[in-house]
Amino acid sequence: MPTLSGVNSTAAIHAQGLGKSYGSDVMALEDIDLEIAHGERIGFLGPNGAGKTTFIRLALGILSPTTGSVAINGHDLATDRMAALTDAGYVPGDLGLIRGVSGRRMLHALARLHPRPPVLRDHLLSALDLDEHTLGKRIRDYSTGMRQKLGLVAALQHDPAVIILDEPTSGLDPVMQARLLEVLEERARAGRTVFFSSHVLGEVDELCDRVAMVRDGRLLLVRDVAELRRARVRTVEVLFDGDVDPATYRVDGIADLRVDGHVHHFTLAGDPGLLLTRLGALSPRDVTIQAARLEDVFRALYLGDAD
Amino acid sequence: MRVILGLTLRRSLRRTLLLGVALGTFLFLVGLSYASVDQNQIRSLVESLPPAIRAFVQGADLASPAGYLGSAFIHPITLALLATTAIAAGAASARDVEHGVAELLLSRPLRRIAWIGAELIAMEISLAIVTVLGSIGAFIAVGTIDDLGTVPSGSVAVTALAMFLLFSGIGAITALAASFSRTGARAIGMGAGVALIFYALDYLAQIWRLAEPFGPISLMHWYRPSNVLGTGSIPTSSWLVLIGVAVVASGLALLVTSRREVAP
Repeated sequence: MPTLSGVNSTAAIHAQGLGKSYGSDVMALEDIDLEIAHGERIGFLGPNGAGKTTFIRLALGILSPTTGSVAINGHDLATDRMAALTDAGYVPGDLGLIRGVSGRRMLHALARLHPRPPVLRDHLLSALDLDEHTLGKRIRDYSTGMRQKLGLVAALQHDPAVIILDEPTSGLDPVMQARLLEVLEERARAGRTVFFSSHVLGEVDELCDRVAMVRDGRLLLVRDVAELRRARVRTVEVLFDGDVDPATYRVDGIADLRVDGHVHHFTLAGDPGLLLTRLGALSPRDVTIQAARLEDVFRALYLGDAD
Repeated sequence: MRVILGLTLRRSLRRTLLLGVALGTFLFLVGLSYASVDQNQIRSLVESLPPAIRAFVQGADLASPAGYLGSAFIHPITLALLATTAIAAGAASARDVEHGVAELLLSRPLRRIAWIGAELIAMEISLAIVTVLGSIGAFIAVGTIDDLGTVPSGSVAVTALAMFLLFSGIGAITALAASFSRTGARAIGMGAGVALIFYALDYLAQIWRLAEPFGPISLMHWYRPSNVLGTGSIPTSSWLVLIGVAVVASGLALLVTSRREVAP
């Protein structure tokens, strides 16, 4: 079980032994230890049904844990829920806005539930292209993307210290997805903690310092994105002018080597520097190193762990 | 709490006003129709009817102004309009859980007791609006139709209050059912089921001696609008039962809902 050392009770989010079961045989989440520091940007990854949303709902007191505890900014959700939620801003995956009221009224109402003023509202409305005309319409007339944008403004308008988002880009077009990532980047630069679950590894790659991966209700790993990048397996393709013996450039980390005429295909784990030096000496006609993606690491970790 | 109350009332406002206007119109039309009936003819007609038919109006004297107008307060249309208001509002918490509204609201610094409390108050306000709009129809009838002039306006108001209390109880029972339900439809089904059982039990207790001892189990047993219109007062036992059921069911709904999990 990945556990972070130096447990700090005033971490932005701190889960200790957190578990949730339904009845005696359905274990939705099991013994999660996770500490997220202030100002950190962390992506919460996992396939459908892995327990991401359950963790978030436990962290916000929407569900009660079967075991363990969770705190936001040092406020335990079981004993100090109001203080914990004062510091949080949340967009659920299944956003339940009241459809019979206007977007403006919904936004005002949600703002009034917070003790802090909605200092970021105008900025967010502008960044996410929600104009006065749209806000005046009833929410039942909104598209999925418009509802999602309204939910994002509602969650972030009071500038929460801890931002918790459950698949926040779902329903947004690519332009709005990019705008949202910019907004989150901006909040992170302002010292806010950003915790979000996602299936889209690209956005986690772009925004996050760390990733936590869950599967079957268990935390598989918590790791720095930079560390994962370094450990990535790259796909390499080299075209030579003539026959070349792979032994002349072989370095540690090469695997799955296949020679197809003058084209050599293989994967490389680790630093490509030494390989490039050796290939340089052989004067290849072309070298393609495919940019390794977080998806590859993600799949490798899942498949590896499953095996 | 005021924020949730405002949101809850606003989203049901159109429905509430429509139901209220419909009830007012219906009670006025019933009152209006009294001018066109011959009291002696209607008395002999009612007396010739079998008890199973007379039980639909709780054995009221339809020839008298109070009995005739009172029958409107127990007419299936009146009961359906108020039951719709009470059950729809009582099931709001289950609907909110089902559609993720509860999750959205309760992820804010909002106490659960404030959330469910606001929904219960909104239910009472909606019922009050429908009752008041309905009563206006009855007041206009009493004030403008000579043959109904013997019915005091105060008696109409007290009858409307009894009707409000009856449906407060049904709404509170629905709210209690909603606190155990994951979907609004299930809560509405349970609320409607309880209301129908109350109606059937009260009816059977009037016509079937074996069922008579079970009559008081039904809330409808404690609601006799023709008697209230005639006497101008609600019996103490009816006060106690109608208020008691509404308060106890609301209290239990508050308790259970404040402890339940609210994820969709």
